[in-house]
Amino acid sequence: MRIEVVRSGGFTAVPRQAAVETADHPEGARLAALAEAALASPAAPDAPAAPDGFRYTVTAGGRTLHCAEPHLTPQQRELIHRVLGEGA
Amino acid sequence: MGVFCSIVPPHVLDRLARSSDPSVSAAARRTLEHDARQRTRRRLATAIGPSGATAVSARPADQPDRTVYDARHQDTLPGRRLRAEGTPPIADTSANRAYDGLGATFETYLRAYGRHSVDGRGLPLTASVHYQEDYNNAFWNGEQMVFGDGDGRVFLDFTIPVDVIGHELTHGVTQYTANLDYQGQSGALNESVSDVFGSLVKQYSLGQTAAQADWLIGAGLLAPGIHGKALRSMAAPGTAYDDPHLGKDPQPATMDGYVSGSADEGGVHINSGIPNHAFYLVATALGGHAWEQAGQIWYDVLTGGSLRADADFAHFAAATEAAARARYGEGAQLQAVRAAWSTVGVAPAAAPASGLPRQNPGEQTQEA
Ligand SMILES: [Zn+2]
Repeated sequence: MRIEVVRSGGFTAVPRQAAVETADHPEGARLAALAEAALASPAAPDAPAAPDGFRYTVTAGGRTLHCAEPHLTPQQRELIHRVLGEGA
Repeated sequence: MGVFCSIVPPHVLDRLARSSDPSVSAAARRTLEHDARQRTRRRLATAIGPSGATAVSARPADQPDRTVYDARHQDTLPGRRLRAEGTPPIADTSANRAYDGLGATFETYLRAYGRHSVDGRGLPLTASVHYQEDYNNAFWNGEQMVFGDGDGRVFLDFTIPVDVIGHELTHGVTQYTANLDYQGQSGALNESVSDVFGSLVKQYSLGQTAAQADWLIGAGLLAPGIHGKALRSMAAPGTAYDDPHLGKDPQPATMDGYVSGSADEGGVHINSGIPNHAFYLVATALGGHAWEQAGQIWYDVLTGGSLRADADFAHFAAATEAAARARYGEGAQLQAVRAAWSTVGVAPAAAPASGLPRQNPGEQTQEA
């Protein structure tokens, strides 16, 4: 499964993007399980995001999740952090 | 409180309370009622005072009420209390910088505009430092400020630039006043207002004139070796940085460079360069201390109650012209405002900002 994370916003507004293919990744099974959990929990209703909070788009297995700081589940936060390598 | 944790901004709760989903609207209403009770309690505390003696008026104190917490590299807020108002500096330099920056912001709003804290009613100022690990961000969550330490590789500690602290607290001021929608042009205005007053907090703290100010946002935040001066330049948008780790500063100075698209809520941190530059042009044309006349005009627009929550650049430009005329008449101030918007390519809306301002529940009364 391909997992892609795109970040926008934040005070710095420096965009970040990264993707992993779980089949090629040493922790692929863990990432796939995180992606399932992350996509299963929807974003907070009406996305009451913080100004300058990071905005994320997570795509995994053809499904897409939009979420925003500070309303991330622990699984969303861990997945974003692992794929992006920073800042979730 | 279920899914509606207390950090959801009141205006969002207000919208949720009208939701067609009864479970959503009921939860939001409960939170709003809870918040209203807390506000009432705060006001009563202000009026009566801690000793129980009846005060002459409910006027908030001219001193801030700051508390800085340690998030201990987690995402739970606020965390462990590190430093309370009136206590001496501690070993944690991030906490001390946050404490001082909250004070500098409080002082600027009070001395320059007679505003008591973020809500105009003496709201206690809360900040959490050391949020998460290597976190490259700072934000206002609707109730408090949150600072990351930076990764040390691209960004340093986000408590370093005082204008970052002023920027984030100004998101709180905007939330309690014009409440500009955080997307598209109104979102870029929301961002710009935070940059404007963030820079003014720095200028006020240093006693600088418009000519002496650096007009940079985030100077001192970039790690050694990163090619750049800061994150944004109000004097020359698009020139703050150019680095392999960051890319190039994408801000336009004029409408010719206006960016559309869905990322960053429609480029709110990019298109803010346009109203940022307009403010810089007004301030430098008028000279002297930028918070005195240019800042007063912008402050009048932000807090005056006539600006729509979905105002675009043209509405905002018209509102600044109206504010300049109302306060200073047909003089140099109005001419400077007109010239600035013309230079950045914004034609003021024909009908000056009208429509019902959307203030937060319980916060409709603004001081004159
Ligand atoms: Zn901002």
